[in-house]
Amino acid sequence: MLEPINVSLESLNLMTLAPMLIPIIGALLIIVIDVIKGGLDKSLYVGLSMLFLIMDFGTLLDAAGVFAQTGTVMGVFDMMLIDGLAIISQFIIVGASMLFIPLALTHKRFHEFSYPEFFALFLFMIAGFQFMVATDNLILIFVGLETASLALYTLIAMHNRDKSFEAAVKYFTMGALAAGFFSFGSMVLYALTGSIEINQIAAVLQANNYTDIGYVLVAVTFLLASFAFKLSLVPFHTWAPDVYEGASASMAGYMSIVPKIAAFVVTMRLFEFLIHSGVVWLEVVLYVFVVVTMTAANIWALVQTDVKRMLAYSSISHAGFVMAAILIATTQANSALFLYWVLFSFTNLGAFSMLWMSRQKHLPDYQSSDHSFDKFAGMIKTAPVAALIMGLFMLSLAGIPPFALFWGKLYMISSAVTGGYTILALIMALNSAIAGYYYVKLIVYMFMKEPVTGNDGHVYVTNATLPLKSIIGFAAIGTIFAIVMLNPLLEFITAFVYNSGY
Amino acid sequence: MFDYILSTLIFFPALAAVFGFMIHKDSIRAYGVTVSAIELALSLWLWFIFDSNVAGMQFMENLPLLPAFGINYIVGVDGISLFIVILASFFTLIGIASLTDTKKVKNMIITLLFLQMTMIGVFVALDAILFYVFWELSLVPMLYIIGAWGGEKRIYASVKFFLYTFTGSLVMLVGMLFMAYFYYQATIDPITGVGIWSFAILDWHRLILPETYQLWLFGAFFMGFAIKVPMFPFHTWLPYAHGQAPTIGSVILAAILLKMGTYAFIRFSLPMFPDASVYFMFPIAIIAIIMIIYTAMVAYAQEDVKQVVAYSSVSHMGVIILGTFALNVEGISGSIFLMIAHGVVSGALFLLVGVIYDRRHTKMMSEFGGLASVMPIYATIFGVMLMASVGMPLTINFVGEFLSLLGFYQQSHILTLLAGIAIIVGAIYMLAAYKRLFFGEVTNEKNKNLPDVNKRELVALIPLTIITIWLGIYPKPVLEPINNSVEYVVQLMHDKSITEEAKTRIPNLVQASMQEVN
Repeated sequence: MLEPINVSLESLNLMTLAPMLIPIIGALLIIVIDVIKGGLDKSLYVGLSMLFLIMDFGTLLDAAGVFAQTGTVMGVFDMMLIDGLAIISQFIIVGASMLFIPLALTHKRFHEFSYPEFFALFLFMIAGFQFMVATDNLILIFVGLETASLALYTLIAMHNRDKSFEAAVKYFTMGALAAGFFSFGSMVLYALTGSIEINQIAAVLQANNYTDIGYVLVAVTFLLASFAFKLSLVPFHTWAPDVYEGASASMAGYMSIVPKIAAFVVTMRLFEFLIHSGVVWLEVVLYVFVVVTMTAANIWALVQTDVKRMLAYSSISHAGFVMAAILIATTQANSALFLYWVLFSFTNLGAFSMLWMSRQKHLPDYQSSDHSFDKFAGMIKTAPVAALIMGLFMLSLAGIPPFALFWGKLYMISSAVTGGYTILALIMALNSAIAGYYYVKLIVYMFMKEPVTGNDGHVYVTNATLPLKSIIGFAAIGTIFAIVMLNPLLEFITAFVYNSGY
Repeated sequence: MFDYILSTLIFFPALAAVFGFMIHKDSIRAYGVTVSAIELALSLWLWFIFDSNVAGMQFMENLPLLPAFGINYIVGVDGISLFIVILASFFTLIGIASLTDTKKVKNMIITLLFLQMTMIGVFVALDAILFYVFWELSLVPMLYIIGAWGGEKRIYASVKFFLYTFTGSLVMLVGMLFMAYFYYQATIDPITGVGIWSFAILDWHRLILPETYQLWLFGAFFMGFAIKVPMFPFHTWLPYAHGQAPTIGSVILAAILLKMGTYAFIRFSLPMFPDASVYFMFPIAIIAIIMIIYTAMVAYAQEDVKQVVAYSSVSHMGVIILGTFALNVEGISGSIFLMIAHGVVSGALFLLVGVIYDRRHTKMMSEFGGLASVMPIYATIFGVMLMASVGMPLTINFVGEFLSLLGFYQQSHILTLLAGIAIIVGAIYMLAAYKRLFFGEVTNEKNKNLPDVNKRELVALIPLTIITIWLGIYPKPVLEPINNSVEYVVQLMHDKSITEEAKTRIPNLVQASMQEVN
């Protein structure tokens, strides 16, 4: 006779689920509305998604308040782990989503946004990412990851172009492989330690003094490969440029931020204790990953003829740059990761939104691809304000002070310096110099060349509507005046990261 | 107003530039002249209220930006930076007033005003990161000026300029971060175990580092500064930039932007790394002499008169470096004075080249000849500036060059002798260029009826000529404040230095003055 299970409701701490439940409820509601009355305008769904995201954000504020007072909260049989990392990364995830969703309100009609499923999937995806960062249970991480990824593949395919299908299938195949790697790595860890929670795995391994180091390394190899796919680290990056090219520009910008921060948080949780365990092999591998990703992606970006592909490679390079934080693994480095990513999300979403605003339905003769460099030639003459804003985003991405991303780079390189990685700091600095070239290349096209005949400047604002312009304006102001919000932001991030024990 | 005069100086042009977007393009020149005239008046006012007896920083402002990480908005001015600030606002006014290129004039003036903000910012910033912000930001307007208004290969030239300096400064940034980290480590409280992050330059001046650290950090900062100066062999971007830039771009570049590098040596490298400065004194002096001789020879081989001026400008930057690394009061004061002189003279020469370029749209010397009879006033002014450039006594350059060499003479007789001879020989190419432009018969039909300098050009050139001669005869009002601040720096270097060699190479001024009293 089995004992009846006796659990008090308070100990479950169900409030820890609130931030994830809100988007799920929102997604279900959107589907229900569509079933009751079809053919409603996309603006309704945009509005509803926005409302749920704001509510989500509100619960996160609440969770942040709780964390500041009582520290880390566990819930639902210790499956949920609401620590500083979880809260900051959820802020980034939800915040970036709030910047993304109004981009659906374009002037031209695009296929994907006419389906309510798009918005439902989008909200499911957010919930998936939120689950992924708010737990240290390998199974829940896996579930969150797959929920989010499967939704994301579909969202890409809904852009409904040949290249989008190609991108979705490619991403799906690679993602499936990564999922396989992840589950295999987790299995080995479980076999070694009998636990699926990262902190217990760490405790058991430390207690054994890493006797089965061979098996640990096998597990780590598979897990690392799986996250290298998700973070598009070289040489696991090959899907990224094609997927970015196939996805709509706004989705590409979104993909360069949100899935990656989720993956970074999990990587940080996994590798923090391994790095500190003194496994030299892991340090070397991470070092190589960081340097190769930064450098190779930068060099590929130099030769791109399409701005979107260039930005795709540049996003890979930025991911490599930030990956350095995982290697350095000090509180300053981990804080730098989040600071960098907040500032990066502004700038990069802004840059991709500019591309999105100029997305044509049909390509004119003088353009070889959607966003070829030629398209932006002489932009200062035909659309001066747009050119200035685009130039601003490029300068910020290149790390020219005092624009947003400079401060991220500064803090990141500083953390390398204080962490004792002198050579790495120099490599990071020199990579910023290489990256300067391709960002300046776009500025050269925009400010110093003559416009192509037939381009009267309307192309840059074909999709412009008030919501799009507001988002871009918001991103631009954030980029210019980043210094003003830097101090509270850094204090907040450092406090939360430090109090989570990272 | 007194308290915030430096912030006013920095941000007034930027604010004016933002408002400039609203102004109609026919009136924008008047707007630009007015704004930069107000700016010049403010900087002269700064000189007026500046107390030349004080050696340290004046009009300091301090506003926390990122206090947890030690980044603050700190500005201040001393005798070293005061005159470069005035020079920067002076040349912006002259540049805008003499602007002849009417293509996209509105964009040009707005860009120039932004550039002015960054220039003033670099020279008054007393926080390394603030300094870096302005230092990097100054690349962007210049990139645009060269790239949008330049000659045929303008895009190549502008991107080369940008990437070269950008790369150097990133290495410098790593050096800055190390410096801040060492400061943090030095200030760690033994009880709490927490140090203080600081990027304040004055804090860094107080930090005494072991010699090996100094050598490495000196190297990192050197990368940034040497490319900016530009020192041989990092000078290759400059002839391209000068060759392709419009007149205004060359004027600002030669007169102000290059001074950022030499100024930064005095502000950062010398007081922070005195032992490393002594260690590298002779290698750098040799580079400086190679720079003087080699670029003079290259200048002699040029066909394009603007390239002659460009290479001669690099050549004289070598003398500035030599004076700076004399590491004594005469040498450093001389090099700061020479920065001003070089700014005035090479700025004027570029303006003068612009005058004939506007008339003939060529800069090839073979196209000219015998201009002295067609354009007498022009030839006279050019002659005065040329004499100043080769260092004639009673011109502004002479004072600076003399003091620089005098300073270095105390460190090494032979090298100074070499440099002195090189400067004299350097006169050859300038005189040869002058001969080809102005003397002989007017061989080219197109030159027969060239109009002499007009009023607008005179407005720009006459003040420069007056300054050249005035400060050549009576340099005291400028030299005195410079001297006071430099003495302070040299004494600081002497007190801080740890190696024996540095103690003897860098004079101890307190002791010297004690002996005088006795």
